[in-house]
Amino acid sequence: MSKKENNDFDQEFCHIPKGDEYVVSDQVGKITRMVVLGPTCSVSSKEMFNFIHLLELPINVRLTCYGVNLNGYPEDVNEAIEKARALDPNHIFIKIRGFPPGDPRRCRARRGGAREGFHQVEAEYKLLNDVSYALEHPKHVSLEKPKKIPVEEFEDIVNEVNSK
Amino acid sequence: MQVAIFPPNSMILADMIQRKGHTPLVVQHQMKNKVTSAEIDAPPFNITEEGPIEGLKYAAIEVPSGVRGRMSLFGPLIEAAEAAIIMENAPYGFGCVGCHRSSELTVFSLRRKDIPILELEYPTSRDETIEMVYKINTFLDKLNGDEDDD
Amino acid sequence: MIKIAQLSCGTEYSGIQKEINKAAETFGAEMVLPDVNLDEIDEAYEKFGLGCASSSLKLMIARAMSLVEGKNEADAVFICTCFRCAEAAIARNEVRRLIQNNTDLPVVTYSFTEKTKASELYIRMEALTTVVARKSILAREKQEGLTLGIDSGSTTTKVALMENNEVIGTGWVPTGDILGCARDGINQALEGTGYKYEDIEAVGTTGYGRITIGKELHAKLIQEELSVNSKGAVFLADAQKGEATVLDIGGMDNKVITVNNGIPDNFTMGGICAGASGRFLDMTSGRLGCDITELGPLARQGNYKNATLNSYCIVFGIQDLVTSLAGGAKRSDVASAACYSVAEQVYEQQLQEIDVREPLIQVGGTSLIGGLVDAVQDILGGIDIIVPEYSQFIGAVGAALLVSGLKDTDVDDSLKF
Repeated sequence: MSKKENNDFDQEFCHIPKGDEYVVSDQVGKITRMVVLGPTCSVSSKEMFNFIHLLELPINVRLTCYGVNLNGYPEDVNEAIEKARALDPNHIFIKIRGFPPGDPRRCRARRGGAREGFHQVEAEYKLLNDVSYALEHPKHVSLEKPKKIPVEEFEDIVNEVNSK
Repeated sequence: MQVAIFPPNSMILADMIQRKGHTPLVVQHQMKNKVTSAEIDAPPFNITEEGPIEGLKYAAIEVPSGVRGRMSLFGPLIEAAEAAIIMENAPYGFGCVGCHRSSELTVFSLRRKDIPILELEYPTSRDETIEMVYKINTFLDKLNGDEDDD
Repeated sequence: MIKIAQLSCGTEYSGIQKEINKAAETFGAEMVLPDVNLDEIDEAYEKFGLGCASSSLKLMIARAMSLVEGKNEADAVFICTCFRCAEAAIARNEVRRLIQNNTDLPVVTYSFTEKTKASELYIRMEALTTVVARKSILAREKQEGLTLGIDSGSTTTKVALMENNEVIGTGWVPTGDILGCARDGINQALEGTGYKYEDIEAVGTTGYGRITIGKELHAKLIQEELSVNSKGAVFLADAQKGEATVLDIGGMDNKVITVNNGIPDNFTMGGICAGASGRFLDMTSGRLGCDITELGPLARQGNYKNATLNSYCIVFGIQDLVTSLAGGAKRSDVASAACYSVAEQVYEQQLQEIDVREPLIQVGGTSLIGGLVDAVQDILGGIDIIVPEYSQFIGAVGAALLVSGLKDTDVDDSLKF
């Protein structure tokens, strides 16, 4: 089983101490969720980190560059993300993660390249501002695919454009 | 309802589904089961030769091993899906969606099922992004039997 | 620790990443992934210009570009993708060319299936780490002084004595007792040259028995056959610069090595079926009542289309030939058909798996059978084929050439084992 050699820093994001060694069997039955703070979120990563700590739930919390990572048993983690989201519902997003935080198998410092999931968050993060706007102004829309215009109408438009 | 998504590791799609009280079928669940299985030690994903062999259920032996290995992760999600949201032309999509052939086969398998499906294009502007969120929420509310307009 | 950059698609989902890591560790190397960020991926991919639908291939390209641009460092590159994926095969070859044309990093490529095990990757990883560790030795293009090379193969032991860039003596002995055969081969090579064993300045060994013989003879160079054979082949064929393919249709197994500037970068080996080997031609010449050396010229006079050969199998194939002869087919047509059968099978089993590059240097004992060389050329669409002089001695020549660069140094591989 892989073990971490350097325990001083979280090499994935270099923010906080790593804590205990990662052990696979400790993860049985546990889940990992990422609390991602949108660009205009009213809560900072640090505030979120402290808020979740103060909930005093038996979960592992890690500060990261986009928010926090939570790891623990489902009921505890779900309670934490529900309360966390309530701080700013339209600007806080939850991502489900397969790997436990700081897993040496996926750690950037060990293999060089970032996790593929990291690129994914990097890309989706760019849309969050607009997603937040839509959540703040909810609306139902038609799901019908737009119909193709009739040939006659198409012909008319072509003639109109050409005559200009 | 259990809603499959494509890309199957999208944060935004999974988040929207959870907000509306449904369960997103995401590939990370599959991955979690793999990586926290103490019996196997095949970093990074604990996918062994068995993965591509399980994938034979979804793709023939002549199909490259990487496609079959991915299908062994996606297959159970497709089978469990009661509804699906498919977003085409997403610019991102590394890792499990890094293989276009696997993605084609997954989307095709979802379309072939008799379930409600919302098909979207990845947004290219602010207006399209907002429209995308509206469509997703309208679709999810319909699944709930709630079709009232705001 | 040697750092090998991995440029790949599908390894993790095929369940073989662990096998790759294991193979690298066996040779004191570790696999690393060049780090790139999202913006760099799109930029690099567009700059490269090869359209890929799969984003993992785009990532592979971006990682390759970051090595070329010096943003990430590595000692060697391992490029691998799923077997039978067309998109990946194109990307794999173009990325290989990009690395080879713009860096001096050694490259090895591979297309894998879920059945790929670490042991299959050993010879590739060994070649890669050898190339890194022995870059200056492998750069040698000229033999100097009086040196001896021994290629201890599973079926034959080949020896070459070289002096001032020329082969002056050779030995060829069927392998039995490894050391005894080496001695016999050395005596053959020295015969008539006027030199005694003591006159030899340095000895190099390669092949399966290289360590046993190397220790006994205090060989200064003991090296795996992939890099040694490549070097010997391009030296003899006068193709030391640029690309080439080395094809060895052996008595029992077949090897194909692709080479760039004399350094190997891919390799396939096969030969579970005797019908695709020199053995089939040996049996054919027996049936035709001619010596194996006469089979080639005979085949060149015939037309394979006039003889029925429906089976590649050594048993049924030979029966077909006998039936053809009984039915009135000419001996030359049958000889030609036998050569075609072997060439076709080598193509189907091996050449299809690798990007064959011109010129093709055909080596080994079977390269002396002209009809077989013609058949290979025909099947590969008229590719340029070189059969160099001493083509059956490439391993021994490669070892003699490379060790001449060590004769005045302290390097002594025999002390390593």
